[in-house]
Amino acid sequence: MSVASRERDIYRRDAKVDHNLLTPAERERLLEPYLPTPPTRSASKRGRKDGIPSIRIDQPKSSRLGVRKFLKTQLHVLLYVIVHAVFSVYIRFRQAYHAVKDRIFAILYYHHRTPELIQKDVKGLSRLPQHLSVILKLEDGGRGGAGLEALVDEVAEIAAWCACVGIPMLSVYEQSGILKGYLPATHRAIARKLSSYFGPQHPALSLRAPHVPSMESPSSPPTSDAPGASSKTLSILLLSSEDGRDSLVDLTKTLAEMSQRSKLSSKDISPDLIDAELSESVMGEPELLILFSPSVELSGYPPWQVRLTEIYHVQDNQGVGYQVFLRALYNFANAQMRYGR
Amino acid sequence: MSSMHLSQLHKWMLSSPPIEWAVNQLRELLIGALRQGPVPQHIAFVMDGNRRFARSHKIETVEGHNLGFEALARVLQNDPIFWIILEVCYKSGVKIVTVYAFSIENFKRSKYEVDALMAMAKIKLQQLSQHGELLQKYGASIRVLGQRDLVKPDVLEAVDRAVELTKNNGDCILNICFPYTSREEITSAIKSTVEDYSRPLSAQARPFSQTRITQKIRSRNLSTSPLRSTSPTPSTSDVDDSISSSTTLHTDSPNDGQEGPLYPDPETITSSTIEEHLLTAGNPPLDLLIRTSGVKRLSDFMLWQCHEDTEIVFLDTLWPDFDLWSFLPVLVEWQWKQKHIEEKGSANGIKKPKIKVR
Repeated sequence: MSVASRERDIYRRDAKVDHNLLTPAERERLLEPYLPTPPTRSASKRGRKDGIPSIRIDQPKSSRLGVRKFLKTQLHVLLYVIVHAVFSVYIRFRQAYHAVKDRIFAILYYHHRTPELIQKDVKGLSRLPQHLSVILKLEDGGRGGAGLEALVDEVAEIAAWCACVGIPMLSVYEQSGILKGYLPATHRAIARKLSSYFGPQHPALSLRAPHVPSMESPSSPPTSDAPGASSKTLSILLLSSEDGRDSLVDLTKTLAEMSQRSKLSSKDISPDLIDAELSESVMGEPELLILFSPSVELSGYPPWQVRLTEIYHVQDNQGVGYQVFLRALYNFANAQMRYGR
Repeated sequence: MSSMHLSQLHKWMLSSPPIEWAVNQLRELLIGALRQGPVPQHIAFVMDGNRRFARSHKIETVEGHNLGFEALARVLQNDPIFWIILEVCYKSGVKIVTVYAFSIENFKRSKYEVDALMAMAKIKLQQLSQHGELLQKYGASIRVLGQRDLVKPDVLEAVDRAVELTKNNGDCILNICFPYTSREEITSAIKSTVEDYSRPLSAQARPFSQTRITQKIRSRNLSTSPLRSTSPTPSTSDVDDSISSSTTLHTDSPNDGQEGPLYPDPETITSSTIEEHLLTAGNPPLDLLIRTSGVKRLSDFMLWQCHEDTEIVFLDTLWPDFDLWSFLPVLVEWQWKQKHIEEKGSANGIKKPKIKVR
């Protein structure tokens, strides 16, 4: 039996009887071999042990130790470079692997702009989110509106998929909030996309943003004579970074003002009150949050609301894709994806 | 079953003395090497998966939690808290580690389990307090974040002792979130901000009295004006000015008094004001949040702190299995990403890198 496992056994036995077996001193002795060299300022406490290469340089044999330290640092730098070289090779392979896998998924699952196909894809799912949220990024490479156009198109696509799946609530987070300035144009683009998916009878659409006064613009289907078929409504909410921390700050300001005028006692401030206010003025908790970025970074997404939200992202994925959306839904329903239909 | 045997064999291999020694050396070397790059200043862990680990290994839930505590020790084969402080903070240079030990929601679990967890926490903290000198040697301080009023007094006593004992050690901090939820934290931050702003400003706090100043000005004007009257026009205007200013001063001061209590302007509240009232006030921004056991939720942890540019990593390993070998890849990838951000930043000239290179 090795030293470590014997010590672990002793430790475990000690833990079993609520650490009454060993005295603190005994336990410390157990720890001793695993402790790194303590920082220099307490070096005097353990001055005897100069056999081990340490970071102290105030030793009489400082030149040798200095060389040793130098060599050690060089070794570490070298190793650091090697580790990172290996890692960047590894990550290229991983990215390539994921890119191929995502491509295959994208080919196997393509929506062909047909609601029936999308509905078939999600038919077996045990549950669907009632409120879906996505984080999109504005690619401001050209700075000439191309990024904005792509963004609007992505919103429209995702909205169409949600409408097909039957998710009633979609919130779109984009950090800069540029979309909020183009509400009518975005609305038009989404309506156009919906009609390209559904034909003339597309579901009603309402697009709004918090703090934007009454931009509620429901669009009933153009042919309103068949309301039974598509009575569903898709409501889309546009969010930006100002709906995150800033809304909490604004709420605090309001509460402080009320408290100054003694309309409110600070005892009344409870999570329920804040939750009610925020879900009224911004939104409630989304059930599923999809990121289309290669890693999970919330970039200012409303903090209060993500409490229990399932966060989904595909590793190394770049850009909005139907397969990511679908995989997120499968993951949400705890379902296995079967290749092919 | 076969996996059990395999892991047994694996364990046996790893525990043979030469391999153990080699692994230890390798670990030291790797940590030393990674210190050469950027190191996150603040890491948070959600210690998730103890119960599932217990279930999958057919041991009692409470025992699973105990193993979870021990998991931190897996590498060091010793006490968990030491593992975090030594392996993560001290050796790799992370300043602050925050762990989610117990959520307020966890009180909803069975009483037996809650009691056992509490007892365990108490014992661990007591044990920790016994090693005060050791903690001091490594400059590790322990803080417990959470709602104190939900903790039983005997546990609270242990908490206070451990915190008190280590509060002067400044090098690295271990935040233990114990009974904690982020919403409660944000709420209490808002509450205390509101309380701060509804406390009237006290004008008497300053050692200068306005009336005395006006009197001084007036008396000086009275004394200087006859002297200055030798010079013709400007002197009169000077006197006029001072008189008018003194009268305005005079009329102003009672006005201030009449208005009743004066409050600070709520418009000056910013997100940093709230941040100063959070439990993590003064800590550097969270760089990395790691959640084990494959659950992809924040579960009410560090919501305010992690929703900006924190890298959030979800790992499939259960917490009792989590060790340095699952942590290092995360660290390397983080470093790699930081380098990329830096490169992009220097190319664009806009985005600043988030870390300070040590």
